Amino acid sequence: MKFKDGIKEKNIIIKCGSDVFLPFSLIFALYVILTAPVGGGFQGGVLGAAAVLLIYLGYGYDVTRNSINPEILRINEACATTIYALLGFAGLVFGANFCRNVFYANGWLTGFVHDGTIGLMDYAVGYNVMTGVGFLLILMLGFLAPVEEAKKAKKKEDEK
Amino acid sequence: MKKILTLLALGVILVTGIYASFYAFDNISDTYDEHLDVVALEEDPTNYDVTGADGVADIIVAQNIERTGAENNVAAVVFDFRGFDTLGESFILITSVVGSFVILSKVKKEEKEEEAA
Repeated sequence: MKFKDGIKEKNIIIKCGSDVFLPFSLIFALYVILTAPVGGGFQGGVLGAAAVLLIYLGYGYDVTRNSINPEILRINEACATTIYALLGFAGLVFGANFCRNVFYANGWLTGFVHDGTIGLMDYAVGYNVMTGVGFLLILMLGFLAPVEEAKKAKKKEDEK
Repeated sequence: MKKILTLLALGVILVTGIYASFYAFDNISDTYDEHLDVVALEEDPTNYDVTGADGVADIIVAQNIERTGAENNVAAVVFDFRGFDTLGESFILITSVVGSFVILSKVKKEEKEEEAA
């Protein structure tokens, strides 16, 4: 793999570690989110966002930025919050109060979601947290990026 | 004109809120166990019927499916009775994302301007 100028290649052991653990951590995050009615949306979302850190540890900021687009993450987070609010309004549509559980005994969706809209709302929270915390991590890792420092050093050398 | 419109909107919100709070005081149902008298419970906790295996938890388990249709009590509380709370959590997250995005991108812009100058 070729890197841009000014990036040191990371240690092979760290790279292999991130390669090995990345799929397992993502699968574990999805498992925690998808066992939804127990209430694992927030925790699973943070576990999924930790994948950003694994990629950063193994390959550095540039690869993280190229493999995950933070703009898409930001848009997705707003979508997830909207989905949660709309699922809450489903209770109003069916004649109860906000965030009321519906669809649980209608025969519709009961095979897929065995707890009504509560399960879907938990999925929405997991989606929200995964994208939001991932975006925050990428944004903050941008300040640890060695790329710009290397560029500045190169500029200074060229000026000399 | 703008001030009058703002005051009008705030007044409408205030009146609606007062009406809704009075309406809620009379009409909105309790979370669990309608027959619970909170004042009496606070004055004398021994009056409350907790003869079941787990006391209050027993009442919650017994009434859960009839009230929400959810299999899990914790999920029923977090996403049904306290759904507004979880909605607020996701708003907190979106606010933190927008705030740090604005601040950090401003810092980056200033650095770039310094570099250019």
